[in-house]
Amino acid sequence: MSPIPTTSPRALAPPLFLLALVLAPPLWSHARADARPAPPADLDPLHAAVQAELLRSWELLQAQPEPAYWLQLAVVDRVTWTVQATHGAAGTWTEDHARLGDVDLRVGSPELDNTHKIRDAGWFSEEERARVDLPLQDQPTALRLGLWRAVDDSYRAAVRQLIKVRANDAVKVAAEDESPDFSAAPVTVDLRPSPPLVLDGEEWTDRVRQVSAVFLEYPEVHDSNVSFRAVDEVQHTLSSEGTRLRFPRRHLRVAVSASTTAEDGMQLEVYDYVDAASPDGLPDAETLTRMAHGVARRVTALRHAPLVDPYVGPAILRGRAAAVFFHEVLGHRVEGHRQKDEDEGQTFTDKVGQPVLPDFLDVDDDPTRARWGDTDLNGHYPYDDEGVASEPVSVVDDGVLRGFLMSRSPIEGFGRSNGHGRRQPGAAPVARQGNLLVQARRTVSYDQLRARLVDLVRAQGKPFGLIFDDITGGFTFTGRVTPNAFNVQPVTVWKVFPDGRPDELVRGVDLIGTPLTTFQRILAASDQSDVFNGSCGAESGWVPVTAVAPDLLIQEVEVQRKEKAHDRPPLLPPPGPASSTPREGT
Amino acid sequence: MRRLHLPARVLWLALLSPLPVARAAAPAPPPLMQALEAELARTAELRLPDAPPPYLVSYEVLDGEVATAEALFGALSSTDDGPYRMLRVDVRVGDYALDSGNFEGNFGDRSGTRMRLLPDEDEVLALRRELWLATDEAYKGATEQLSSKLAAREGSVRELGPDLLRVPPLVTEPALRPAVPVEPLEALVQALSARLQGQGLEEGRAVARSWQGVRVLASTEGHRAWLPTGFAVLRVEAATRAADGALLRDAVSWVVPTPAQLPPMAELEAEVDQMVAWLQGLRQAPVEEDYLGPVLFEGPAAMEVFRQLLAPELAGTPAPERPPEGFADGEQVPTARIGRRLLPEGWTVVDDPVAAREQGLAGGYDHDFEGVAAERVELVQDGVVRRLLMSRVPREGMDRSTGHGRSLGADRRVAMTAAVTVQPARPRSPSRLERKGLALARQTVQPYLLVVERLEPPALAEDFRVAFSGEAPLPGLTRPTRAWRLYPDGRREPVRGLSFVGVDRRVLRDVVLAGRVQEPRSELDAEPGPQRFGIGVVGGLPVTWSVPPVLVGELELHGAGGREQRVLPPPEIGLAGPVRTD
Repeated sequence: MSPIPTTSPRALAPPLFLLALVLAPPLWSHARADARPAPPADLDPLHAAVQAELLRSWELLQAQPEPAYWLQLAVVDRVTWTVQATHGAAGTWTEDHARLGDVDLRVGSPELDNTHKIRDAGWFSEEERARVDLPLQDQPTALRLGLWRAVDDSYRAAVRQLIKVRANDAVKVAAEDESPDFSAAPVTVDLRPSPPLVLDGEEWTDRVRQVSAVFLEYPEVHDSNVSFRAVDEVQHTLSSEGTRLRFPRRHLRVAVSASTTAEDGMQLEVYDYVDAASPDGLPDAETLTRMAHGVARRVTALRHAPLVDPYVGPAILRGRAAAVFFHEVLGHRVEGHRQKDEDEGQTFTDKVGQPVLPDFLDVDDDPTRARWGDTDLNGHYPYDDEGVASEPVSVVDDGVLRGFLMSRSPIEGFGRSNGHGRRQPGAAPVARQGNLLVQARRTVSYDQLRARLVDLVRAQGKPFGLIFDDITGGFTFTGRVTPNAFNVQPVTVWKVFPDGRPDELVRGVDLIGTPLTTFQRILAASDQSDVFNGSCGAESGWVPVTAVAPDLLIQEVEVQRKEKAHDRPPLLPPPGPASSTPREGT
Repeated sequence: MRRLHLPARVLWLALLSPLPVARAAAPAPPPLMQALEAELARTAELRLPDAPPPYLVSYEVLDGEVATAEALFGALSSTDDGPYRMLRVDVRVGDYALDSGNFEGNFGDRSGTRMRLLPDEDEVLALRRELWLATDEAYKGATEQLSSKLAAREGSVRELGPDLLRVPPLVTEPALRPAVPVEPLEALVQALSARLQGQGLEEGRAVARSWQGVRVLASTEGHRAWLPTGFAVLRVEAATRAADGALLRDAVSWVVPTPAQLPPMAELEAEVDQMVAWLQGLRQAPVEEDYLGPVLFEGPAAMEVFRQLLAPELAGTPAPERPPEGFADGEQVPTARIGRRLLPEGWTVVDDPVAAREQGLAGGYDHDFEGVAAERVELVQDGVVRRLLMSRVPREGMDRSTGHGRSLGADRRVAMTAAVTVQPARPRSPSRLERKGLALARQTVQPYLLVVERLEPPALAEDFRVAFSGEAPLPGLTRPTRAWRLYPDGRREPVRGLSFVGVDRRVLRDVVLAGRVQEPRSELDAEPGPQRFGIGVVGGLPVTWSVPPVLVGELELHGAGGREQRVLPPPEIGLAGPVRTD
């Protein structure tokens, strides 16, 4: 009689987890719902409780033998609404309210503190992070008791860690980058209003239910899902320096997915979605229905598509694929903290001022930008998780490396944060990407780009070229222990033939390579860009990101076989009234 | 899908058309059952090349509503409610004598059991799609599992009995799932956790969950049943810190069939207040560093002693077969044995789920998860095991289920205690137990008798050495959270920091005296095995135990103090435990 048996998860993440940086569009799988009321910031009881406990703790910690030199309390007050449907039946409209707290506390000095990396450390050597139990109700005593325990736990853990840091520093040779552990940042007070988010749960439940019934028309679609998810957050960040921030963040997504099993056992899934920062940006029922038919047709077509063998040859990465490619291959390697971590590959650490890309490409990371055309950008935020205002960063200019994405952990030559210290609640912030924008100074039309691909195929004597049209995500390894490689996982790949035959949809390959070699082979870019909104997982957890890029022609790429399952497709036909051929149009 | 041609369709309709007589048509089964029946019918067509078809397909759907609320020091910290509809499909290939079940392959191997969330809405076609996919995966898993089992048996000369017992199909009337509002639970946890505020506690939490619904069974054997099921759990826990930095925890909990059966608010509040007072007193209590002598288990601790030590001895389901090369190479010695002396002469142990259900106890039920009617089983007579609890998995000499087949989630349905009563031969008064205990303490040169009133429940045990071996002797019992020294002059002094050393079932034979059977007490538990540990606050299956307080002649306990004090005082005057002053 256990509806939801629970266990104590003690799963241990393998050490490689920290090295594999994953980008993916997250698969999140009655009545009218209004978000929490929005009190004026100065009267906000949650904010006031955090402020009171910050001031009290700070004062007390100054009297300790090892005083804290920086303390930050942060709370993400998050309401999430979800509903999903499958095959014409909806789940329940759910609302989930959570308050996720973080304590970031530093002892020692900015030159050497408890966050300093311990070199050659064993497993589980990282500083414990305190759990912050916060109530949902604005009850000051309960709020402050939760914060008190967390600050106290954090302080004691920080002192223990500092002892180990100092010993490690004494034992080891001098670090290659002897930059301090912490940099100063401007004190900011910005308390923004958070107007309520108004959603119609019944309407969204009806919509996902209706759209999910589309898949019943496609007998080769085995499983499917239509989901709506809205997240309304208010982030509070207060520090001992005097920074006080309160700002909202909204993210809404409608998503449609369908999966099937090919006759050779390969699991195939197509996922399409629209992200927005407000309900107005989401598609109407008709558009969503079209998306569902499109997804169903694509997955059905993929089921019949032939496999591709491992191959090396010219290719076009369409905008979204190119965006993920840059996120994985360049973006993670210009995150500041990796430049002084001697376990990292440090591909670009010493290349500032040197060409790293073709001279027609610029790369910026600009979290201040909220939209690209009509598309809301997932990686937009006003302040990072260390209380620093986000800034646009020129990473590559005319193909030349100019800068890195910086948190408050300085590196040689880059002594201050540019507002890229980010984390998932519960993790310590590190430098992360926001909106990675790849732009070309010289472009051609897509048709011209495609014509150049065909020319390349002929010139190289290849039987075909490839076009990577859509992707699910990717990952990369940036450390020294494993090959410094990337893997971009396409969904839709087309063979392009030199003899004018129609393009052929194929499946079963991942795009792989190493960064420097691949960058050298980018030949041209189109005049149209596309946006990949998703979430990126790395050391500091999952954070929302965007990558934007034009279509890119690459002289030579390598593909490897995709991992696959081996089960036969379902043995019986699906139940229900599905016809044998999918409906066209709609 | 095959389509009927017109003449055949006409004939089919003719056969099904109601005759023009005044007879009401049978009501259509609920949509969920329609879906289950439709997909069960199609399983007859399931076939993999060169592999046997399923001989048994069982669907089990937990169809209910769940509400959960949690509060910290009077403020809600989490609240959740809604429907919950979880499918468990069990496909077996082979036959009753030798099938794909009762085999635990290597890590990552598949089995014939699958779990899948079903849509909340009663759309037959959508439900069937989910059933179709889950059944397909389960059949493939069962086929692989049978082949692994046959490979594991290859070359073995062991004679093994059948894998599954036949049972008559259970057919009942449909039952509805009741609504479970979360608001009363929210009010309850807020009110109770508010009593923890301002008491010098570091942690103060109350959590309540109510799960109410039906277990829907449908199988190719003919089960068509709706079994009402559910429980409500309320738990209030608190922690404070001793002078040496030790974190001192205690908790009180109630497990009942429905929230309406919780004790009156005044009684709940009184227990919470008593817990607070205990913790406040415990801050100044000494650490019981080493103790070797008699121990008197009273109240909930007596229940935990029997639950932790006796339950595995009463469950008759044999361990699953395992591959000979596997990680847990398994010629497993069955724990529960007929004829074993477990208790002193004259003691009896009975498990009676139906009587417990009639008394409104959480561990009670009429039919187990396999649709078998629950029986009253006289397990121990005169201190010796005479019968064992059984599921549909037989063992030598026991070829009938007693209706105790239960387990968590996708786990194999195995025999599990439900509503146990332990009756001593000659119950004694509490004062007699104490006098005898003090006399025994004198013999072992102890100036006091150790009395234990509460043990940490296994579901929340942090000390995994209870379940898994290490270099030190296993504790064998979870840690005491409420214990005191009873001196000959009647003085009671709380002690803290205790852990048992090397306890096992044999201590039950050494019970010197026992009191009268206490009020039944329910907890959340799991089938025997390591899964009983770490289930969490509100997970598990309800069990009820009625046991006497017991005096054990000699037990060994080790104590340890704390290590680290808080640095900051809490943000409320007078709220605190001690703070480091250096």
